[in-house]
Amino acid sequence: MRTHLHSKGTQFTVAVMAALALFATDAYAVIDGLTGSTFTLSAKDGYVLGGDGLSIYTWGFADDTGPMQYPGPTLIVNQGALVTVSLKNYLPEPVSIVFPGQEGVTATGGVAGQLTQEAPADNGATTVEYQFQASEPGTYHYHSGTHMDLQVEMGLVGAIIVRPTEFPIDQWAYNHTDSAYDHEYLFLLTEMDYDVHLMAEFGLWDQIDTTTFHPVYWFINGRNFPDTTLAADTPWLPNQPYNCLPRMHPGERLLLRIIGGGRDLHPFHPHGNNTTVIAKDARLLQSPLGTGADLAYSDYTITSLPGQTVDAIFEWTGAQLGWDVYGHAPGDPMEPFEYAPDHGKPFPVILPGQQELTFGGGYSGSPFLGAAGDLPPGEGGLNVYGGFMYPWHSHAENEIINNDIFIGGMLSLLIIEPHGTPIP
Amino acid sequence: MNHKMLKTISCGVLPLMTLAMVAGTATGAEYYLRAEAFTKNLPDPSGVGTIPIPMWGFALDDSFEGLELQAVSVPGPRLTVPAGDTTLTIHLDNNLSVPISLTIPGQITTKTPVFFTDGQGRQRVHSFTHETPAGNTTMVDYTWTGLEPGTYLYLSGTHLAVQVQMGLYGGVTIDAAAGEAYSGVTYDAEVMLLYSEIDPALHTAVDDGSYGTTGPTSTVDYNPKYFLINGEPYTSATLPMSAGAVGNRVLLRFLNAGLQTHAPNLLGMYMSVIAEDGNVYNFPKGQYSLTLPAGQTKDAIVTPSADGAYPLIDRRSDVTNAGGFSLGGMVRFLEVAP
Repeated sequence: MRTHLHSKGTQFTVAVMAALALFATDAYAVIDGLTGSTFTLSAKDGYVLGGDGLSIYTWGFADDTGPMQYPGPTLIVNQGALVTVSLKNYLPEPVSIVFPGQEGVTATGGVAGQLTQEAPADNGATTVEYQFQASEPGTYHYHSGTHMDLQVEMGLVGAIIVRPTEFPIDQWAYNHTDSAYDHEYLFLLTEMDYDVHLMAEFGLWDQIDTTTFHPVYWFINGRNFPDTTLAADTPWLPNQPYNCLPRMHPGERLLLRIIGGGRDLHPFHPHGNNTTVIAKDARLLQSPLGTGADLAYSDYTITSLPGQTVDAIFEWTGAQLGWDVYGHAPGDPMEPFEYAPDHGKPFPVILPGQQELTFGGGYSGSPFLGAAGDLPPGEGGLNVYGGFMYPWHSHAENEIINNDIFIGGMLSLLIIEPHGTPIP
Repeated sequence: MNHKMLKTISCGVLPLMTLAMVAGTATGAEYYLRAEAFTKNLPDPSGVGTIPIPMWGFALDDSFEGLELQAVSVPGPRLTVPAGDTTLTIHLDNNLSVPISLTIPGQITTKTPVFFTDGQGRQRVHSFTHETPAGNTTMVDYTWTGLEPGTYLYLSGTHLAVQVQMGLYGGVTIDAAAGEAYSGVTYDAEVMLLYSEIDPALHTAVDDGSYGTTGPTSTVDYNPKYFLINGEPYTSATLPMSAGAVGNRVLLRFLNAGLQTHAPNLLGMYMSVIAEDGNVYNFPKGQYSLTLPAGQTKDAIVTPSADGAYPLIDRRSDVTNAGGFSLGGMVRFLEVAP
């Protein structure tokens, strides 16, 4: 029998939440990052943990005196702001920053490099200051403009979000209603060739040949699955503060901000429904200016090119599945955004008995949205609101691996939860 | 006979040209290409000295086995079909040791494939069209009629896996009208950016005859070390490329004759990407990044609002010369005058 969680006693809910508190704490900001218009980034080294537990020597940008971060801090600025990024360098070779998609970037201080001014390897003594006007809203990124083939590989990359002038009066990504969203999530996609990191750790600079690139770890926001689904700022991942755990209620619009941060193409594949691609490189897909995303298109394998950013809207109501996702009887009241033609349609599967099953922690005991069922002692518990989980991952399936161990890599889960579930 | 480039006398004069076409006397553009082996010196990854790479390339002559107008190079000479011409003929002289041919993907012509019988008695394609034998003593012609405007690659159509990566490729452009890449797409200045790669191991094997015998038997282990734009990797001595002036409509023609996908990213400016493989998009795409898969061409217009040198980098990080300290490889600076 189905049981709606929100109709159950609070005792059950509170107990489970207290015990697991995984998907429902207020610790989850939707897109974590630094806000404002003045930032100090320090290029530092440190270690990231692969999803298999391996410690990988990595370079990253830190928030000033903070720990090295992979990826670097997400800079969240407002359209029109004069953005100042000061760079200090604690790495063994010169570092710089370039800002693709920003026009009129100025760089002062430091030493002239080939693409821009560089901070020499002087343990933070020199500061280079980059400035630009965030003239257009959207999803951008920044990365090292020095010895790129090594330094981007080593981790010197981060995201930039420029909020439109309409924000936050309207929760839009661009100054048009076609970019309206209820929840936004970042998908900064990168990969690592572990051998390069190992040689860098041992200082074997002469042996590093970036033309033999062979990545074995694939990351979303600096983490491999299953770490992508852990809380942000998990204490045991001190250099990987960002998670990636998209959550939504049926009928809402979820904005994916996808950034090709590495050097490979990663076809990103959200399960559950198609997405609507509305923008690339921080420009709405539009014919004449001001027409909105009239050239948006529907896609389930989103091409994400190195250096490119893609914004897409995902929606889900359970429409046209051919069965009632809430497990309603025909006379039951409708849920918000429920697909009416399937109301009360029976689940087309005879569920096996409990003794014929093995259980994962994400199974609520019921196939229905927002429902829970009986589970054997000690099973379940990671899905207290009875959500549906969809894997969102690189469609290059070899990339959902942690150094030859399946499953991991460039993978996370979308959780669709019934209305009433708190989602930050 | 003027061998330099035979064209109709009506070139550039639209009413006359129309008349000539009606009269059926348009002869179109003609070029004499000569395929030849040569050695290309590329930077040693240590940053000191060079490494010689055996290459195959095309040279431009004034007639069959006549005077050389442009030395053998990779990519081969850019072929510019004058605006209004709809026919291109390439007369080929093959000084290589193997038969070759020419194709232009995207332009329609009648092809006459060449087959061979393999060890199991099967008919298999050796060449997409008629071949020019090694050391030919009479010229072999390749003709395209009804040319469509745009940016295209010309490539060997024979044993492509070997011959194209050895260097038998170049760019050919056909404008709709003078200063007009496609109908309605005008430009004031243009920059041609032809991407390709070199795997020295394959070149050595083809050159010393070990390819297909004691050496590699295919390009399956292709591992390029050099990443070229217009035949050269970036070095600190590479000069910026002239890209018009502030306010100009500058046409960037991207071509990829390599075997790998590249991702040109332009810093400091957005491009209006207007065409792909010679086909104009219904709506231009405003992007600073491009996907440039193997064999593809893309055209973009930039309209710089400020002068300066704008970096164009391959965001696939093929910005090294054989693993040496970057910046190298697929990097150029586009110099915009005030």
